[in-house]
Amino acid sequence: MNSASPPSAQLLISRLRDIVGDDGLLFNREELLVYECDGYTVEKKVPDVVVFPTSTEQVVAVVRLCNELNVPFIPRGAGTSLAGGTLPIGGGVMITLTRMKRILEVNVRDRYAIVEPGLVNVHLTNHLKETGYHYAPDPSSQGACTIGGNVATNSGGPHTLKYGVTVNHVLGVEVVMPDGSVVQFGGPCEDGPGFDLTGLFVGSEGTFGICTKVWVRLTRNPESYRTLLGVFETVTAATQAISAIIGAGIVPAALEMMDQGIIGALEAAFHFGFPLDAGAVLLIEVDGLEVAVEEEAVRIEAICLENGAREVRRARTQKERLLLWKCRKQAFGAIGRLSPSYCTQDGVVPRTKLPEILEFITDCGQRHDLKIVNVFHAGDGNIHPILLFDERNEDQVRRVLLASDEILTKCLDLGGSVTGEHGIGVEKISFMDKLFAPEDLAVMKSIREVFNPDNRCSPGKMLPTAGGCGTESHPHKSHPGRRAAM
Amino acid sequence: MSDLQSVFQPNTQAELAQFVTDNAANTKRSLQPIGGGTARCEVNADNVCEVQLDLLNRVIDFPARDMTITVEAGIRIAELNRILTSENQRLPIDIPQAEQATLGGVIATNWSGSRRFGCGTMRDYVIGISAIDASGQRFSAGGRVVKNVAGYDLCKLLVGSRGTLAIISQVTLKLRPMAETSAVVALTFDSLSQVDAVLSRLLTSATRPMMLDVLGRVGALARPNEGMGKSVHPPVLIVGFEGASREIDWQIETLLAECRPFEPRATESFAGAAAEPLWNTLRDFSMDSKSSVTFKASLPPSRTCVLLHLAIEAGIAVQAHAGNGIVIGNLSERVSTADQAIAAIKPLGELIRSCGGHLTVLRAPNEWSALHVVADSWAGSLAWTQRLKRQLDPRNLLNPGVMAFGPA
Repeated sequence: MNSASPPSAQLLISRLRDIVGDDGLLFNREELLVYECDGYTVEKKVPDVVVFPTSTEQVVAVVRLCNELNVPFIPRGAGTSLAGGTLPIGGGVMITLTRMKRILEVNVRDRYAIVEPGLVNVHLTNHLKETGYHYAPDPSSQGACTIGGNVATNSGGPHTLKYGVTVNHVLGVEVVMPDGSVVQFGGPCEDGPGFDLTGLFVGSEGTFGICTKVWVRLTRNPESYRTLLGVFETVTAATQAISAIIGAGIVPAALEMMDQGIIGALEAAFHFGFPLDAGAVLLIEVDGLEVAVEEEAVRIEAICLENGAREVRRARTQKERLLLWKCRKQAFGAIGRLSPSYCTQDGVVPRTKLPEILEFITDCGQRHDLKIVNVFHAGDGNIHPILLFDERNEDQVRRVLLASDEILTKCLDLGGSVTGEHGIGVEKISFMDKLFAPEDLAVMKSIREVFNPDNRCSPGKMLPTAGGCGTESHPHKSHPGRRAAM
Repeated sequence: MSDLQSVFQPNTQAELAQFVTDNAANTKRSLQPIGGGTARCEVNADNVCEVQLDLLNRVIDFPARDMTITVEAGIRIAELNRILTSENQRLPIDIPQAEQATLGGVIATNWSGSRRFGCGTMRDYVIGISAIDASGQRFSAGGRVVKNVAGYDLCKLLVGSRGTLAIISQVTLKLRPMAETSAVVALTFDSLSQVDAVLSRLLTSATRPMMLDVLGRVGALARPNEGMGKSVHPPVLIVGFEGASREIDWQIETLLAECRPFEPRATESFAGAAAEPLWNTLRDFSMDSKSSVTFKASLPPSRTCVLLHLAIEAGIAVQAHAGNGIVIGNLSERVSTADQAIAAIKPLGELIRSCGGHLTVLRAPNEWSALHVVADSWAGSLAWTQRLKRQLDPRNLLNPGVMAFGPA
């Protein structure tokens, strides 16, 4: 895919200006730098133009223009992807949807809301406050990330252990297809005719089209919570406790682990009173009816203590509970105290393999002389090792990529996956042919061809290109974003 | 109708793939995947080969501590339930005729029941899938871990695809722990408008029901203890709970208190083992053997009682999963022709269409093929559905005609 050549760049800009107006686009190099990467900072590439449409009609016009001029285009929300999902490989037009952020309808009686894709995740739940309902998927970045972005990556979050990920809460989507047509998949009525195209679209990482409207399911608020902090001497003891809790038939609303490395940074940032000498802490939340949660909390306390917890604390007030969650959800922000740059991985292993993978991560950090800290969704087996480095140090970048590669390969060896909620993006595209057989990828490719035959919409995402990264053995070289940037 | 019927029953997934490959290369017969045959659909082709999948019934892996299971798709639901129960786990989907029905069939038809209000549907439980496409190629998507966003979610695409895209051969499920116990509360009201008001009230109930069903024409429900006049059929709201005993007791009491201002004509509660027959009756509602036609309608939950009213007026016995806007209807046993069936369903069509809903015939005599065109507001997605079908099954070999795609 070629980006617009210089003469046509001016034409492109002038035609785009006709669609979105003067204040609806950016094309100066220094302004575009903001859009050179997302939360995955290892790969960078500036788009040729960024547009900020305010309506489905404008998105349609932009997409049609891109088709006419043969320019690639890519949707972007808040740019919180941790896998380079919004990296504009090949340049082209970046369609940023943050100005389409209205809540179009809230219908509690029918338990849905219709929102525009640029709506910030937590703004919906804030808006619903008086209704007794909320929007369940709660990625840690929910204060910034958009629901459109959540749909593209099928985002998770701490409470997905009990409530499920984004796709379990999306009833329908309006999509501007890569050919510029507008279609609605699903909607407020369940079990629509034909295939579950809503389910197929969620998590397609922008490669099937641009979502311009979302019907989301609203979930009844729990009546009560019990939020516990289990303090363990070792990571191994904490993982045993996780296995025992799930094995006892308890599905907590959330079950998160933080290791010693991250506890230190969190304590420095938030002064919660975390035990700095603990090997690991588990943040465990049960929710439901007041009459039931206490009993569950007591059982969990007992299980933690049986599995070697030094102590189990409880959030005594709502304020304390919220502070605990703030610490957890803003953990990534606290990492600035530890290093200038970081790379978060998103592997998944069967829950029972957590001790094995965590041991491997420790070992891997030592081998590559890297500091790695862990804060993750333990109940789902969804690990988030955070590899600390300085992006100005090329050798460190190289070691980070190597270590990431080894960790994710180990996840696959243990029967898991390379991404639980962040998506493939560009970061993990070289893993697709390790995770899937050629015939699996062939079917996926043939499905993409139905929706996006020219691959002009979000090129270079999700599926490896033939003869591309799959043939390169070195992860450092095989990253498409890296290639695009060179 | 088929002139030449034949049957193929593979013992292994490899055999199945080989057979489909040979078929695509040589005879190019239409293939009709069959699980337990409990939700058969009429295939619109002359030369159909039934592919019976019930011998593909092996358990591949059951790491109980991870709460997932990988099985071949032909496993019977009763057998699957038995295996899961041994580890105090379950797939919380209500499936009738569990001794016959297979997991693959349940997935292909996206079967669901009363618990869908609290537990969701098959799309929420299938985390990995393998299937054989029309050319005989076996492909997989998803995986064996509970959280995974790698690759396109072909699990969602195949759930409810009714065997028209590929033959599902292996499945990994996410599981739930067994509920400690359950209870069902049946509240009889004088009118559907009362039921509707109660349903609105229950939106902010202090309780958390697993099931919110409404039954029209009580005569259709075999009740454990008779207590109702036979000539009138007042609507019954049925609320189900699951959890620990203390939690259940509290919820029954709270629900009854919340409903009292609406003056139910009668209330009955069934807890523990006593609730089982009711759960089972509700599960089996769509299998009423006296009725020739069963349909499923979906519409916004707030319109459920309006549809129930129209259906009951038309002499149709109905069960609504009211929290989800799903209505199952059994036409009267007096309906004996397709024309009569269409006439009975027609009054519902306008309402369903006006609120963007759908109507699907679940069960009808094969020769009543005219019934299959009743239904559907595709909201523009039909063209993409057709394109997907053409891409994955260009020769239209798999269950041709089953999804009423219209002219390709």
